[in-house]
Amino acid sequence: MSGSFGRRDFIKAATAIVGGVIGVALGVPAIAYLIDPALRASAKEGWVPILKVEDAPVGKLVPFSFTRVQVNGWERTSTNFGGYVLRKSEDPNDMLILNSRCTHLGCTVNWKEDAQAFLCPCHDAKFGRDGEVLDGPPPKPLERFSEFRVSADGLIEIFFKAG
Amino acid sequence: MWKKAYEWLDERLGLNAMYTNLLDRPEPRGNWWNTLGSASLFLFIIQGLTGIFLTVYYTPSPDHAYDSVQYIMNGVAFGWLIRGIHHWGASLMVIVVFIHLLRVFFTASFKYPRELTWLIGIGLLITTLGMGFTGYLLPWHQMAFWATTVGTQIAGTVPFVGEFILKALRGGPELSALTLQRFFAAHIWMLPAVLAGLIGVHLFLIIKHGESHYPSQDE
Amino acid sequence: MNDETKKQINAKYERELQRGERFWPDSIFKDVVVSLGLFIVLVLLATFVGVENSPKADPSDTSYIPRPEWYFLFLFKFLALYGQIPVLGKIEWLATVLVPTIGIGLLTLLPFIDKSPWRYYTRRMLPLTVMGLIVIDMVLLTMMSDIPTVAEDGSKLLGLLQTTAGLIVPGLALIALFFMAYKRDENPVAPMLWTLGLAAVLMIGFTAVTLALAPPAEAEEAVASTLVDQITAGQDLYSVHCVECHGDDGKVTVIEGVEGLEGKEVSPINSRDVLYTLNDASMAEIINYGRPDAGMNPFGKAYNAEGLTKSEIDYIVLFMRYNWDDRFEKPVFKPLFPPLADGEVPSYDVHIAPMVKRYCVSCHRAGKENNEFVMTSYDEILTTGDNVDRNLVAGDETSYLLQVIQGHAILNEQGEEIIGVMPPKSTLKAEYIDAWIRWILNGMPQTAEDAAKLFVAPTPAP
Repeated sequence: MSGSFGRRDFIKAATAIVGGVIGVALGVPAIAYLIDPALRASAKEGWVPILKVEDAPVGKLVPFSFTRVQVNGWERTSTNFGGYVLRKSEDPNDMLILNSRCTHLGCTVNWKEDAQAFLCPCHDAKFGRDGEVLDGPPPKPLERFSEFRVSADGLIEIFFKAG
Repeated sequence: MWKKAYEWLDERLGLNAMYTNLLDRPEPRGNWWNTLGSASLFLFIIQGLTGIFLTVYYTPSPDHAYDSVQYIMNGVAFGWLIRGIHHWGASLMVIVVFIHLLRVFFTASFKYPRELTWLIGIGLLITTLGMGFTGYLLPWHQMAFWATTVGTQIAGTVPFVGEFILKALRGGPELSALTLQRFFAAHIWMLPAVLAGLIGVHLFLIIKHGESHYPSQDE
Repeated sequence: MNDETKKQINAKYERELQRGERFWPDSIFKDVVVSLGLFIVLVLLATFVGVENSPKADPSDTSYIPRPEWYFLFLFKFLALYGQIPVLGKIEWLATVLVPTIGIGLLTLLPFIDKSPWRYYTRRMLPLTVMGLIVIDMVLLTMMSDIPTVAEDGSKLLGLLQTTAGLIVPGLALIALFFMAYKRDENPVAPMLWTLGLAAVLMIGFTAVTLALAPPAEAEEAVASTLVDQITAGQDLYSVHCVECHGDDGKVTVIEGVEGLEGKEVSPINSRDVLYTLNDASMAEIINYGRPDAGMNPFGKAYNAEGLTKSEIDYIVLFMRYNWDDRFEKPVFKPLFPPLADGEVPSYDVHIAPMVKRYCVSCHRAGKENNEFVMTSYDEILTTGDNVDRNLVAGDETSYLLQVIQGHAILNEQGEEIIGVMPPKSTLKAEYIDAWIRWILNGMPQTAEDAAKLFVAPTPAP
């Protein structure tokens, strides 16, 4: 075994190659298998009815909530979402629909009539009537559901996108 | 540089001694039938790896076991491959272990000084069958459920203690969530631990006594 | 074994080592090649054979025929054959406990039973031939495991053949082998091999006859495994079992046209009241056990061996959820059949059967009011019904079936309606009606191959 590539070296190299082939053939699918859920796009969207127009008087913040069901593998999870509708005038298209999820860490904010603000119970964040930040740590105003419509039978529907 | 690092490690780990004792061992001239033992070991490792990956998604509960297996087969990337290898690997392992036993039997390799190696080998065979038996229930489908019902029923025919054994296996008089959970525990913790331990002893004995040679006419 | 023999054995081994090879790389190379071979086999099996699927476990389904894993099948068969033996066969634990225990025990204690130092084959004829016999028997028992010991007509011929192949011949051969090994003075190598060979030929022969005479195995139905398949399966089941009372959209509040339940009030099962307040398990139980006080029959296997399985009930619940529950995203459904090209002739198997299942079988099956027109199979569609000679007439556009699905009720000479518009409460989609017309005009081919033969020149669209 001096210098020249003998039978034993060939066998050693072949063994290493075969081992490597098995490793790759099992390893690559295994990694794909492990990270698969992270690669899935969650493109769930659709029109969701939230409230009857007649139940939302002009100028008053009216809370609403709805549930969406997501399939996670073999299990279904229903997630609740909530928010506030504020009709600014009689025109059914002139309204503001806010998501009540705090933009700081995701707690649910509540409208307090005396404070005239949305208060977050977690870190004392304060948002104004239009969702703008008044006080506290949130980096941006409350999210708006900007795509909405009023259906023929008088239901306010929002276009909901998950994720 | 590499040489220095190697020497440093060798001083502490004894790599050279390991190489001479474990790998550079002399052996009798063998043939392809001698590969069955290491093939069993290879399959054990493959089963271990794919099994570990399956537990990433598998749920051992009657409510979800079936759906989670369906999800592995249809939902996850390469889930069909991982489960396919595990499923067929189990069958192949039983075959390979059994043919390995026959090879040892026909060449009378179990005789002095390798009696203990044979004993451990029988333990490995029984544990492998136990792995097959417990693993078969886990997908919680009709075939699995009824095969296990009958399998445990057979254990229940033992005179006097049969009913006790049956209840101990099933975790109660009927197949239930308890059965699934204890089969799962046996399949992924207890039996593999026993199997790994026995394999360790089996390999130690092989290295100690060396592989047996093929008998010649005067033996 | 004395020290002298031990010394000889060790010395012999040392000599073998001298003219041997090295563990690394000689042996390991072979090991790795075999491992690679096994790995490739596994990947091929996983890719091209896959894993057999089976419906979800259903403890209430006692009609299921249990089978153990394949490597226990030989024991299973042994048990069945053993049970055929008079008297002894009734003492079950002899076969279930004693025989396997003795087998494993002998195998375990082998080095302590066979203590002779002899290793060469001709000096160990008894253990080798006995083991050979057992292995052959195990393989054959496994092959025969699916075959019943008593045929449906009560004939015990198959059982007798199997007992001969699996118990009697090997049993006799075993006795002969022991007899030769202990009674003959010289080493009886050839006679023992001949005995083993003869026994093997007989056993294989009897097994072959058994396999040839056995009834063919029934094909199992495919199991719906993806969500869309399951919902589709649920919709088909719903169409057969639920539509009559609840309607195809679940809206029905007052049952119409169902014998015995006429005028009964039901809550619309597509409403939020039902879908939001009942979880899947409750819905499944209602289908399973029914609500007898409210008039709903049980559909599960609990009261009816022919009832729906647990999986089937789950599929129906999935269908209801994904179609009517507004919290769920509807998945993309596959069409009932691939769209027809110009001039293509539909076949029963591909096009008509799915439509019949979805829209007709609910009423057109045995035990319903349907003018005796049963549509559960190809033959029944063509050969049953009070108006069998007019229902489907090859090439005739005025076939009753074509008229009623296109909105024309069939009237008798007095002007009374004898067949109403079908389906009674809805209309088929235009492409479905088109498929029916093409199918009947082209002579109602059954299989896709028969239909493909008719696809010569594009026929003018009707």
